[in-house]
Amino acid sequence: MSRAATRAACLAFVLLAAVLAAPATADAPKRIVALTPFSANTLAALGVKPIAIGQTLGGNENFLPSLRNVRTLPLAHPNGPNMEQLASLRPGLVLSSPTWTRGNRTMRTLDMRVEVPEPLTVRDMYPRIEDIAELVDRERAGRRLVARIQREVSRATQDLKSRPRVMLLLGVGRTPYVFLPNSWGGYILQLAGARLVDAGAESRSGFARVSDEAILDADPEVIIGVPHARAEDLNGIRDYMRSNEVWKLTQAGQNNRIHVWGDDKLLQANLDVGATVTRVRTRFLKNR
Amino acid sequence: MLEATDVRVTIGGTPILHGADITVEQGELVAVVGPNGAGKSTLARAAAGIQKLTGGDVRWDGQDVRKLRGRALARLRAFVPQRPRVPAGVTVRDAVRIGRSAHIGPLQRPTAADRAATERAIERAGVERFADRMLTTLSGGELQRVQIAVGLAQEAPVLMADEPTSHLDLGATVSVARLLRRLADDGLGVFLVVHDLALAAAVADRVVVMSEGRTVASGPAESVLDSARLAEVWDVDASVEAGSQGQTALRVSWLGDQDMTRGSS
Amino acid sequence: MSGRRVLVVAVAVTALVLGVGASLALGTIDVPLGTVVDALLGKAEEGPDKQIVLQLRLPRTVDAILVGAALGVAGALLQGALGNPLASPDVIGVTAGSGFGAILILLAFPGSIALLPVGALVFGLTAATLVFVVAWIGPDGGGSARLILAGIGIAALFAAGTTGLMTAYPDRVQSAIFFLAGGLVSDGWDGMKQIWPYFAVGLAFSVCLIRPLDRLALGDDVAASLGTRPRLIRLGAGGAAALLAAASAAIAGLLAFIGLVVPHVIRMAGGTASHGFVVPVSALGGAALLVAGDTLARTVKPPLELPVGPFMVVIGVPMFLWLLRKAV
Repeated sequence: MSRAATRAACLAFVLLAAVLAAPATADAPKRIVALTPFSANTLAALGVKPIAIGQTLGGNENFLPSLRNVRTLPLAHPNGPNMEQLASLRPGLVLSSPTWTRGNRTMRTLDMRVEVPEPLTVRDMYPRIEDIAELVDRERAGRRLVARIQREVSRATQDLKSRPRVMLLLGVGRTPYVFLPNSWGGYILQLAGARLVDAGAESRSGFARVSDEAILDADPEVIIGVPHARAEDLNGIRDYMRSNEVWKLTQAGQNNRIHVWGDDKLLQANLDVGATVTRVRTRFLKNR
Repeated sequence: MLEATDVRVTIGGTPILHGADITVEQGELVAVVGPNGAGKSTLARAAAGIQKLTGGDVRWDGQDVRKLRGRALARLRAFVPQRPRVPAGVTVRDAVRIGRSAHIGPLQRPTAADRAATERAIERAGVERFADRMLTTLSGGELQRVQIAVGLAQEAPVLMADEPTSHLDLGATVSVARLLRRLADDGLGVFLVVHDLALAAAVADRVVVMSEGRTVASGPAESVLDSARLAEVWDVDASVEAGSQGQTALRVSWLGDQDMTRGSS
Repeated sequence: MSGRRVLVVAVAVTALVLGVGASLALGTIDVPLGTVVDALLGKAEEGPDKQIVLQLRLPRTVDAILVGAALGVAGALLQGALGNPLASPDVIGVTAGSGFGAILILLAFPGSIALLPVGALVFGLTAATLVFVVAWIGPDGGGSARLILAGIGIAALFAAGTTGLMTAYPDRVQSAIFFLAGGLVSDGWDGMKQIWPYFAVGLAFSVCLIRPLDRLALGDDVAASLGTRPRLIRLGAGGAAALLAAASAAIAGLLAFIGLVVPHVIRMAGGTASHGFVVPVSALGGAALLVAGDTLARTVKPPLELPVGPFMVVIGVPMFLWLLRKAV
């Protein structure tokens, strides 16, 4: 090819690339507020930094290190974030949670773009990651992230040596609620090889109240309690759970297999499924 | 003005009045007397249109009480109950003004005529001295006169009072008695339910005796309140005497036959 | 006497005006007063400040004014009709019914959250209707004592229902707590758009009840003598109060304090129980109290917006106690 033709071709190529690239980057919203740990961490994993992240009062959410200096917005009922604070940030996109239905409506009346890409189970997680990736125009990074997590989960769920019967309990104050298979924590336990004991309960919300009698009747081999509490209170709750007279009578109690889980990884969607499954298997199920 | 014939009233399944008759004209004070449970208050309330009639006929100025609507009836008769409520935060003048409401339309403001009528009622009842005081600061007698003033503000030709003096001391009773008599003398019709027979004899133009849900006698005090009647209706040995200067007295054999109650002595 | 009343009205109006100003200007974000005025007059630039004033604070302030006024009037009506100083909308079961209706939506049908005001209104009125029916039938129907006892019974019924719902949906209870504590929410005009007719009807009805309630104050017999039907007035007052209280709960949750205390404060301050004074001024006083309390609830721990119920108590009780000392 002649030099002129080559230059023209390069120019055309560059122009074409610029034309193709430009509308795509113009679409991606710039000021993003992420109100859930899942959406915040997903953004961070995709290389996008939100201008603010939400943190519930009294919650102990885990955020990726790259989000350390990002402004936090306290979240509380009924609206979630403080609407005035949110409005003053002029967000181009708000990634919210179904918990804040009232707030989401208000945000929309303030002409904010609100999306709720929050997975309820681990299976939902992959499509939701891809939804977020599409929203911020990082589809390729999204696909890579999904593939990476799938690999991690696959590695973590290999070679299940045993499948103990496990009851996963949410200790809300002093009344226990059992995690059902359709809850986030319940699904993780099943991935880890546990046969989840639900004492016959069913609920769309993923949790159901159980009585101590039902726990005794179900007689699980392992009991894992997930307190809804701050780190400082965990020891007290652990002591309480271990000293429960009825629980002590179960197999789990007799064999000293009543454990307390310390963070929110079983409570709400997050990206560390693989690592969480491994932790459950190694420390609590002893089947790795 | 008031013509009640064969009035029957049943309350909660229990017949209270079995046929009572009474009339009251303007300028006359009719006292209704009788033992407890005779139905005096019930008759007063039935005649006033406050208590539903089970049977019989009550007419005010010829009109059937059952067909008269609240305001129209309020302009024909004013009812003063026995122990009315004494609300806090209401002055005498406020209360008397409320009595005027039968003459004020729902969306109207009180006119100068209404205000004048209120003052007239206050004067007639003799309560000007404490017209700006709260009801809760008044004595029993003063309160009763205020209640009468409220009734007078209605400017109805007949005033009905249910035992206005039963809970008052002697002085207050005399004060109310004089007021009622003066009102009758001025042309008001007064229907007065009263326990005190001596009082009835002194102030009434006519006395109606009730017993067991019926009116058993009607007429001037001397003829109606004789010893035979007192024995028959009240089962007591008593007599009503009229003294000089309008005084009346009730003589009662309180302790009965001395020999029998004392036993052997 | 009259001078005292004028003073009370002046104080109430001033408090309301200042409260409204504070409510529009103060909050998590500082908006300069000039911008507030510009926004109200339509002269402000587009931006978050304008949004905050017109779409968040203005509807909330209007909510507070109407709810405060409605509860003040409801309390005045009931205290007049029942002749009982402890009467308040809670007594006729409305609060418990509204609570049940709202919690039903919040917990059992959270997707239909737009129906929250409707649920509160419908069940509030249902509870009041049940109370009136129970209080009315049979002999001595319509008397104050019957009404209050029926109210206590029906309220207990709905409260049990509410507790049952909270037990059945324990994970969603958090969202219900704010409503139960009583509080306004910055959620724009949606709520008021649905509910304002009920406020309008209730307030209009209340105006018509002013004179009959004065007559009722002198006792059922005197009222009857004056041509009023006491039971009908009691029913009417109860109905108007129920409507106002249910509409208030639909917007602002269960605010228990205003209806009970504001009319008392107005009566004591003004030195009169005349309903022509107490009813309208209770509206002003209730509105001022709620606007002030809500502003405080929003600015005490920003960006947290605390429920306003406890703040009503903090502002109102000392005032109440001070006036009580003077009255006694």
